[in-house]
Amino acid sequence: MLQVVLTGLSTGAIYGLVGMGFAVVFYVTRVINFATGQLLMAAIMVTAALSAGHWPVVVAVAAGLLTSTLGGVVIYFLAVRPVLRFNRLSFAWLVSTLGVAIILESAAALIWGTSSLSFPQLLNGRDVNIFGAALTWEQIITIVIALGTVVAFEVVHRRTLFGKLGTAISSDPEMAAALGANVTLHAVMAFAVGGLLAGIAGVLVGPISFANPYLGETYGIYGFIALMIGGIERPAASMGGGFVLGILATLASTYINPQAADWFPFVVVLAVLLVTPNGIFVSGGALRRRFDALRRKPVAASGSAV
Amino acid sequence: MTTAVQLERIAPVARPGGRARSALWTGALVAYLVGTGVLAHSSSYEQGLLLVAAVYSILALSLDLVAGATGLYSLGHAGLFALGAYGTTILSTHYGWNIFLALPVTVLAVGLVGVVIGALSLRVSGLYFAITTLIFTIIVNVLISDLNITGGYTGLASPPFPNFPHALSFLGSSLAWAVCGALLITVTLLWSIRSSALYPALLAIRDSEPFASSVGVRTSVTRVVIFSLSAALAGLAGWTFSFLGFITPGQFDSTAAVNILVMVILGGMNTRTGPIFGAVFISLFPTVVSMNPLWQEILFGSIFLFVIVFFPEGFVGLLARGGRWLRTKWRPQRGRARPLTEGTPKVTEGTLNANGWGPARKGAGGAKVDVTVQGQTDGATPAPLLPRVALEARGITFSYVKGVKALDNVDFVVERGSIHGLIGPNGSGKSTLVNLLSGELSPQQGTISINGERIEHRPAWQRPGLGLMRTFQTAGMVKELTTRDNVGLGLFSQFRFIEARSVIWPMLPSARRDSRRMAAVASTSLSAVGLGEPWSASRLADVPHGIEQLTQLAAACASQPSILVLDEPLAGLSAGEVDEVATIARRLKADGVTIIVVEHQTRFIFEVCDAVTVLAAGELVKAGSAAEVRADDRVREVYLGL
Repeated sequence: MLQVVLTGLSTGAIYGLVGMGFAVVFYVTRVINFATGQLLMAAIMVTAALSAGHWPVVVAVAAGLLTSTLGGVVIYFLAVRPVLRFNRLSFAWLVSTLGVAIILESAAALIWGTSSLSFPQLLNGRDVNIFGAALTWEQIITIVIALGTVVAFEVVHRRTLFGKLGTAISSDPEMAAALGANVTLHAVMAFAVGGLLAGIAGVLVGPISFANPYLGETYGIYGFIALMIGGIERPAASMGGGFVLGILATLASTYINPQAADWFPFVVVLAVLLVTPNGIFVSGGALRRRFDALRRKPVAASGSAV
Repeated sequence: MTTAVQLERIAPVARPGGRARSALWTGALVAYLVGTGVLAHSSSYEQGLLLVAAVYSILALSLDLVAGATGLYSLGHAGLFALGAYGTTILSTHYGWNIFLALPVTVLAVGLVGVVIGALSLRVSGLYFAITTLIFTIIVNVLISDLNITGGYTGLASPPFPNFPHALSFLGSSLAWAVCGALLITVTLLWSIRSSALYPALLAIRDSEPFASSVGVRTSVTRVVIFSLSAALAGLAGWTFSFLGFITPGQFDSTAAVNILVMVILGGMNTRTGPIFGAVFISLFPTVVSMNPLWQEILFGSIFLFVIVFFPEGFVGLLARGGRWLRTKWRPQRGRARPLTEGTPKVTEGTLNANGWGPARKGAGGAKVDVTVQGQTDGATPAPLLPRVALEARGITFSYVKGVKALDNVDFVVERGSIHGLIGPNGSGKSTLVNLLSGELSPQQGTISINGERIEHRPAWQRPGLGLMRTFQTAGMVKELTTRDNVGLGLFSQFRFIEARSVIWPMLPSARRDSRRMAAVASTSLSAVGLGEPWSASRLADVPHGIEQLTQLAAACASQPSILVLDEPLAGLSAGEVDEVATIARRLKADGVTIIVVEHQTRFIFEVCDAVTVLAAGELVKAGSAAEVRADDRVREVYLGL
């Protein structure tokens, strides 16, 4: 069981990172960047290509992360900004970011071919034993990095003016701009961070997945689901959603059958959305309210007794 | 006040262009049938291409009905499409059903699934609805990939489609006729809805649900039914698709779900032809453009990007912009005025005075016993004997959050034919009370009655039927419609069976007549608030705030309510416009309308109102005549701050 949970956590961490990549962008700009998965793929491909060209692994990884980060920024200026300027509330960004996703995927296939390339092993594949559960160092590092990302994000989000301005922009861009927030800068940063998170996820998953132009779609979908489970209004919640998704998928494939990993998470997501449409980890969600109500009851009772 | 103008004189005749228009439509229909005939005789390669495009057109049109007009961005249409296609194939090949028996069964079944998904839209909205429906598609996709009966990843071969009997064999391919027939049905249904009186109501549900229900639209039911209709059409698309070749899970996955929405957006959302353009483009592009598949994909993606970035309204937006440019260039402005001579709107049972509004329709109209109506309009139908109190709320208690009472045991009594002011400091519970009266909220304790009839637990959309209309503090109406169309929406409750008739609206003489009546009454109502020709044809998005407020007032008055609730009607109005509203209120009162005004401008309240109720912190402070309230010490204390 612990094995399942830990394996699930490490898979979920990847989904959660991609989910956060979606969420950070959505949080500030109210746009879902459908090319997020393709940014993950771009990071993997660039890293793989450079290391195949005998560059040091560190340089290859850095280049991969840089590619996805800059890719995010380019997407903002090319596909999102013009559309938002026309109508901030339309869904037109769906088409334009999807267009970018198609272009990225096909371009990668043109450049590197459609078959998988090898990805540099960052560490030796030795197992570590944790209370009887065996994990590779990569899996452990993945979980640690994911948690570190959440903490870093929350610190910036809550403790810095920049992060708080992000909150202001997400609720009312015009008002935030009137108060002096640089909306464009925030949007650019959001797309850059979104790309970076997808890139980190890519570099972490690369050793298992290898490098393939079509990886973007798979991880894009799972990241998106993590986002839905966690709740779209709080980027850090996506990581929780990713963990839930990873554990559920691992549980399903271990205890039901290997194919169950394909559909079981969706059933759970549907149930989650029916009960608490805004995600599990969002404050004020239906589950959270019910939970709070349960906790509050005894207090109220004792209060009335006094 | 007494010069009565029969509404017959201002209602329009059948449009002079009516005959030309129907000739045009007949021509288009003939052309379409001829085109179908040509297609039915063309090569199977061409048929294969165009029929797939036609099927996707049905699908995209059905999605546009919910996404464009009703604001429900569904990604579940790929799943519904799959249910239609797989349902037909399985019923036909596995259970040996006749495909024409399978047609109504699958369409109905998919429509029922649509009821369930549509009901979801009452819980989740916007992006979350898109996400939830996407999950529906994914689940359907997983099922059809994993089940045995669906053939797994290999899919199912299509059932045979029967040829025409010998006598009709000259028509060519029967399948081509079936698919084109399905498209024709879809187009007819959806274009009818777009030209019906339901269409503005759908836009109102999308943009401003409180406004929609305040004019009598059953927002929840309408949404669910519209979604169900859209789902049934997706099922129809699935039925036709099942005969066009192998069906495999890959055709109905999440990518397909997004692609259908892309067709709609790329072609032009919420337009007549946009979804068709988008569907044809996206389904034909990969086959027609033959090059290296990867380069082709890159070109495909670039077109998405290019069209949306430069023409955010899609292909049709691009065409419309071109069209507008041509029109302004070649055709100088032409008046839209038409001779108005015939047809009596149902809404006026009596007469209409010079200012546009006749006596109140329900109650209040006639000169009856102790009803305080001044300046009677002549020729009014004597109203049945009605109680002196028009609206009565007793012992109202309401809290948004447990333990914090927004209203605590409040009584609110409004006499018929009076203007009743409701005042109080911010947070005193005025808006809550108004929302309780209009049915937006329902009180935890207490009763509300109109003309002695208890209404506190009746939904908002029933209020117009009881003769109560309201306006909102911040006018939320449909920005993309003209002010006249918005006012016309105020008449929604006055016409019967709008929903049922909408699917064949232009073909029903009664419906066409109702449309004209709506437009005529709306114009009259607009001129009654001083908004004449230049304003009535302007889109609401283009008018200043004051005009928007007056439009809202006109919309509320158009159906001649007996009780009118105005929630801060003066917010953001200029001094001149305030005077205008005061005049309008007095005129309405003269016509026997009972008016409840929530307002902060005390000058207006004490000048215009007969009686005033003062609230503070959710409690009743004082109710009485304007003079009494003004003189009351407690009122001075809590409200005037003296």
